Amino acid sequence: MDVNEFIKKLFERAKAAGFEACEADYADNEEFSVGVKNGEIVDYNVSAGMGLGFRALSNGKMGYASTQVLDEDALDLLIAGAAENAALIENEDEEFIFAGSERYPEMDVYNDAIDQITAAEKINMARRLEKACVSIDPRVTQCEEVEIMSGSGARRLVNSRGLDVSYRENYIGLYAGVLAQGEGEVTSGSAIRLARDPKELDIEAEAAKAVKEAVDGLKADKAVSGEYKVILRGDVAGSILRTFASVFSADAAQKGMSLLKGREGEMIGSEALTIVDDPLNPASPGATPFDGEGVAARRLEIVSAGKLNTLLHNLKTAKKQGVQTTGSASKPSYASPVGVSAHSMHIVPSDISPEKLLEMAGDGVLITYVQGLHSGANQISGDFSLGARGFLIEGGKITRPVSQITVAGNFFELMKNVTAVANNLEFTFSSVASPDLLIGKLAVAGK
Amino acid sequence: MISKAAAERVLAEAVRSGGDFAELFMEDTRSNSLSLVDGAIDSANTGRRHGAGIRIYNGLESVYVHTNDTSEAGLIRAAKQAASAIGNKDVPRDITLTGSIARNIHAVERLPMDVSGAEKARLVHAAYQAAKDYNSAIKQVRAQLMGKETDVLIANTEGLFTGDRRVYTRFFVVAMASNGQENQTGSQGPGGMIGYELFRDKVDVEACARHAAETAVTMLGADNCPGGIMPVIIDNGFGGVIFHEACGHSLEATQVALDNSEFCGKLGQQIASPIVTAIDDGTIANEWGSLNIDDEGTPTTRLVLIENGILKNYMIDRLNGRRMKMPMTGSARRQDYTFAPTSRMRNTFIAAGADDEAEIIATAGDALYAKQMGGGSVNPATGEFNFAVMEGYLIKGGKIDRPVRGATLVGKGSEILKKIDRVGRNMQMAQGMCGSKSGSVPTNVGQPMIRVTDITVGGR
Repeated sequence: MDVNEFIKKLFERAKAAGFEACEADYADNEEFSVGVKNGEIVDYNVSAGMGLGFRALSNGKMGYASTQVLDEDALDLLIAGAAENAALIENEDEEFIFAGSERYPEMDVYNDAIDQITAAEKINMARRLEKACVSIDPRVTQCEEVEIMSGSGARRLVNSRGLDVSYRENYIGLYAGVLAQGEGEVTSGSAIRLARDPKELDIEAEAAKAVKEAVDGLKADKAVSGEYKVILRGDVAGSILRTFASVFSADAAQKGMSLLKGREGEMIGSEALTIVDDPLNPASPGATPFDGEGVAARRLEIVSAGKLNTLLHNLKTAKKQGVQTTGSASKPSYASPVGVSAHSMHIVPSDISPEKLLEMAGDGVLITYVQGLHSGANQISGDFSLGARGFLIEGGKITRPVSQITVAGNFFELMKNVTAVANNLEFTFSSVASPDLLIGKLAVAGK
Repeated sequence: MISKAAAERVLAEAVRSGGDFAELFMEDTRSNSLSLVDGAIDSANTGRRHGAGIRIYNGLESVYVHTNDTSEAGLIRAAKQAASAIGNKDVPRDITLTGSIARNIHAVERLPMDVSGAEKARLVHAAYQAAKDYNSAIKQVRAQLMGKETDVLIANTEGLFTGDRRVYTRFFVVAMASNGQENQTGSQGPGGMIGYELFRDKVDVEACARHAAETAVTMLGADNCPGGIMPVIIDNGFGGVIFHEACGHSLEATQVALDNSEFCGKLGQQIASPIVTAIDDGTIANEWGSLNIDDEGTPTTRLVLIENGILKNYMIDRLNGRRMKMPMTGSARRQDYTFAPTSRMRNTFIAAGADDEAEIIATAGDALYAKQMGGGSVNPATGEFNFAVMEGYLIKGGKIDRPVRGATLVGKGSEILKKIDRVGRNMQMAQGMCGSKSGSVPTNVGQPMIRVTDITVGGR
């Protein structure tokens, strides 16, 4: 069945079934990726997919169901599933189907130039990337994996209260994972880059970045255990922020699962720390003109020079706390229930260069890689303890590599210990980003 | 699902451009989930995933295309799209499939989609109450139930035409203890390739909830773990995640065939302490990581990976079997039809040894005792791994001294395996989701209590 016809029938059936209001969330996407090893194609994936999520209000309770098939059976499954699920809800919070914002931002995240690139050209790009990686340094003789990927997607939210909003986006990207061989040791380095404009993909520069990381890591030793001044390289700082981003959710706070509960207006970080959520930034994969409930997206300053301005709200959490929604309703896939999260969060850069940041650190450790964020970090306590690699900083200069170390701390203390923020903010493939951060102290364990 | 004749036409189209092998994988999955927080059910969801993937090989080149359109016309279109990436020949081939029915090892009594909402609600409420009643410091509890029924059809140009039904049920509970300034959590997540008889025969949700609450309360009073190099005792159950990360991933053909593993070329060699025997077993009835057939249609197996420290086997899928010129081991897995399959772990564990658990602790001197592990990860190419310790204790002079929190274990797989100096008798498994190239798949980890002579412990 055609999607418009399906939605029309679905809404008619929902009305007949007695739902007060309902909404369909339709997504479709196409993706392509090619992986090359020693010039041969080892991975080649093409996908086309779609799905439709349905939510509906019954006696004030929201029921959810979703499908990847648009046929008569699916209509039955969605109507019956949403009704059954709504009947199970015991939570008394008021639920919303939103009629729409007055206006929506213009969003330019679709580039026809990406569609013009053929599969053969992408295979050539992957081969070029692999070749670049193995021709820079004699110690890098093989890539673990190189990949070129591209994709496009469309999202449409339509509901029985008149909302009908949509947007589409596309991207092209690369990944290079390289291995460097030393005397009886192997180190790895990687580069990942996403672009809305193919011209921004600099294959040779990204290869050089991956190779430098692997080669610089050879002959690493463990650091002596202790407390250090630590520079978290931007990508590392960004991945830590992403891991703990849920502490800014009003939903988590209202459930007592964020230590930022009731802290609005208080200093929670150092004056060097400003955190924004900017869904209007087209360079971020999280760019979107509306949130998961169809509320117009906008730039939001969450933390200003250390002060917590607001937690992130959707319509439900805002109503509960007597405030306005911040347009932060999340719906990571068409099938997910509405939650709360930032769309495209980053730490605001300063005018300090990364070199100056090293000088400011004097003696310390630069962390360039962390491992274990899904297991070694606890959003509820804020504690983290991560496997790490990086470099010793001595006299304001990088001196030698360190590996098989851990870096441990607490996210809430970390925000207070941000001594300085560098000027090098870059969005690679994550919707959360940060410049390099100088942290006053963090525990490093090694030997 | 489509007919045999239609599958024959789709596969013929797939190999028409010159491919030497093609496979069709179709999936239809119905799932539901229920979540309770703050004492009230706050979310319930039902979903249907449906689609197919077509894979074609030409020698060692592999192409994968997937789609939601599983009509014959839609599958022919996908087959043509995949074939066009393989070559531009026109080689008509007749494909003849022979139907087969996989042996079902995993009996299921009560399908999760058929169990009433009221029964599910009773389970999560019982768990919530048990955790709250355990201690007044428990301020929040999240209890969840997840059920999934997947039907698959797998056909290939070697004549295979088979299907399987996979039924999963899992319970998850997180308890949070708080003293106002600090929060700590504990969690448990038992499950199986089984229906709701799981909760009658194997899993007591209230006991699980109390266990999670006990961890959270213990950790709330704990000091930070000191960092440094020390002996570490890792308890059974989820402790097996150490083998999973430090060694298991590096024995998957996914890594080995492309020369991305530190264990490449080491078959027959001593890679672990002689007291270590490790097994990857997909055949255990109703276990979380078990299968009847893998996602390429190959019957699952019990595979000895390491015997008395000697490397015996890698886990091998079809494509990497071609690369390595070695037979498949029934280890090909994928999250769903949107992923091409590759070799993955199933139920992976260190087998029971001969050492007494009390002696292992008493002779450890000053050490860390990791009673419950969290998750971990590994970079298979370099072997660098990390694990989080969810519930840890310091051992002083062979006696358990006090609880510590925030510990992480880091090191290299090949080094840690040789440093295992005790293997206990009490092997036990636990459930996890393992993420890798072909998505997130259910796997069991397991081991008896083991002791490692020294590991870098991250703490502060």
